[in-house]
Amino acid sequence: MQRSAQPGTASKNAVDPLAEPDPRRQKRRERILQIGTLVLLLAAWEFAAHDANKLLVAMPSDIALATWDLLVSGELLWATLDSMSTFVLGFVIASVLGIVIGFAMGTNRTVEVILDPYINALYAMPLVALIPILMLWVGIGFLAKITIIILFAVFPVIINTVTGVKNVDKHYLDIGKAFMASRAMVYRKIIAPYAMPYVASGLRIALGRGIIAMIVAEFLTSISGLGGLIINYTNAFETAKAFAPVLVVAVLANALTLLVQKVEARFGRWRRR
Amino acid sequence: MPKLSVRNLTKRFPVSDGPSMLALDGVDLDVEEGEFIAFVGPSGCGKTTLLRIIQGLETATSGDILIDGKPARGPGHDRGFVFQQYGLLPWLTAAQNIGFALEAKGVPARQHGDITERVLATVGLKGFGDRFPHQLSGGMQQRVGIARALAIEPDMMLLDEPFGALDALSREILQNEMLGLTERMGKTVLFVTHSVDEAVCLADRVVVMSPRPGRIRDIVPIDIPRPRARLGEALRDTPEYSAKRQLLWNQLMELV
Ligand SMILES: Nc1ncnc2c1ncn2[C@@H]1O[C@H](COP(=O)(O)OP(=O)(O)OP(=O)(O)O)[C@@H](O)[C@H]1O
Ligand SMILES: [Mg+2]
Repeated sequence: MQRSAQPGTASKNAVDPLAEPDPRRQKRRERILQIGTLVLLLAAWEFAAHDANKLLVAMPSDIALATWDLLVSGELLWATLDSMSTFVLGFVIASVLGIVIGFAMGTNRTVEVILDPYINALYAMPLVALIPILMLWVGIGFLAKITIIILFAVFPVIINTVTGVKNVDKHYLDIGKAFMASRAMVYRKIIAPYAMPYVASGLRIALGRGIIAMIVAEFLTSISGLGGLIINYTNAFETAKAFAPVLVVAVLANALTLLVQKVEARFGRWRRR
Repeated sequence: MPKLSVRNLTKRFPVSDGPSMLALDGVDLDVEEGEFIAFVGPSGCGKTTLLRIIQGLETATSGDILIDGKPARGPGHDRGFVFQQYGLLPWLTAAQNIGFALEAKGVPARQHGDITERVLATVGLKGFGDRFPHQLSGGMQQRVGIARALAIEPDMMLLDEPFGALDALSREILQNEMLGLTERMGKTVLFVTHSVDEAVCLADRVVVMSPRPGRIRDIVPIDIPRPRARLGEALRDTPEYSAKRQLLWNQLMELV
């Protein structure tokens, strides 16, 4: 990006395209740009919200104070734990289920033919529409939340796993065949590592959808967790406090994505950088 | 009894629109134990197909493969295959790639370390076991492929243009090593190559194949005495070498 020489952009601090930029300095420069932009945005928000209706918009400084209050009272922590324990359990079940179903579909044509239409239809449809009916079956408690998270998160894992497993390079399968590797070895040492990057990107999509599911579930079933805080404080017109859990959700979503990427990188050491 | 007999082998590949493709047509060949056979021929004459059928990676449309007189059905640990390209699993290190073949053969895990070290040393890659394929040069990757085939101690080695993707220098170095290796071990070797030079240097007999349909056109014995490895460059100065090189060259030119 930094090397693009489009007219009108960065003409003053354009770098010599042939010189290798010092990566550390480059990185620092980019960080400063990002932090600077954030500070500017917050300042503009603070300024604009100063004269606005306090019920509708909160100033960043108010949000910071409200977040502090909620932290000190422990309310935010408990809500986060509540949400996260539900989310992590749902996400783990969805991941395992998705990988197992994806492997079965990718390696067995019969299973694929039977399941494929439903998987595709459910992945494409707005699953929120199912939630009221689902609540008839599983109630509005913990089980309902877990079910909703799994429902949202499982399909991208299945679909990506199937793609990865079915795409396995024939050359690699030939190696297994030539040396008479057992079925288990072919799964473990050829198909699984090959499909790994596909599975990982499925997990990343599932993470985003799972967090949406978590908040939606907390809005629609028994009101609790971070989603519950948002609903309750909005209804109480404590707008600044409603922003605090939103902030936490944003930070958590990013932290979890980073974690999945780290795990992915750990398993992808064999790839060329 | 020959080590390997190929009897009236035919292979048809289905073609989606039109008549099927006759890749091999009535191929007959006997290979003695310890013999080094090179296959040459224009592109598409069925060299890879023949090797893959012998390895059991592909099934013949008709005909038989006999090993020690017994029909071979499917792959076996008695045959070690070296692929032209994409022969290593990129997510496994060199040592793990070799371990893969050992595990597949059922060699106890505690022996893997010793065997791996030994075969890596044999191909001149001592100390490179921890490298991933992308951290090795093309020539080193092919050596790992050869080491892996050696590790399972096969009676027969099948190599499909193992040096085809290499530069001229690496190629010549590996040719010489291959010569030394096979003369020391005395294994039966089937070796596909595009290079007449390579074929004459290495082989006891060169099988010339012709395309459309794939057939054996001629089998040329190479009477350069062994061991040839110690001759080095002088090998290429022998009259037999130039004569056979010329003969094969002329045959190939007629085919293309
Ligand atoms: N899986 C396949 N399906 C259809 N046709 C095939 C298949 N594999 C090989 N063929 C055809 O069979 C013929 C022989 O192919 P093969 O790969 O054995 O040739 P080759 O002698 O190894 O050629 P090269 O020197 O280019 O490697 C070719 O015409 C090829 O197109
Ligand atoms: Mg070929």
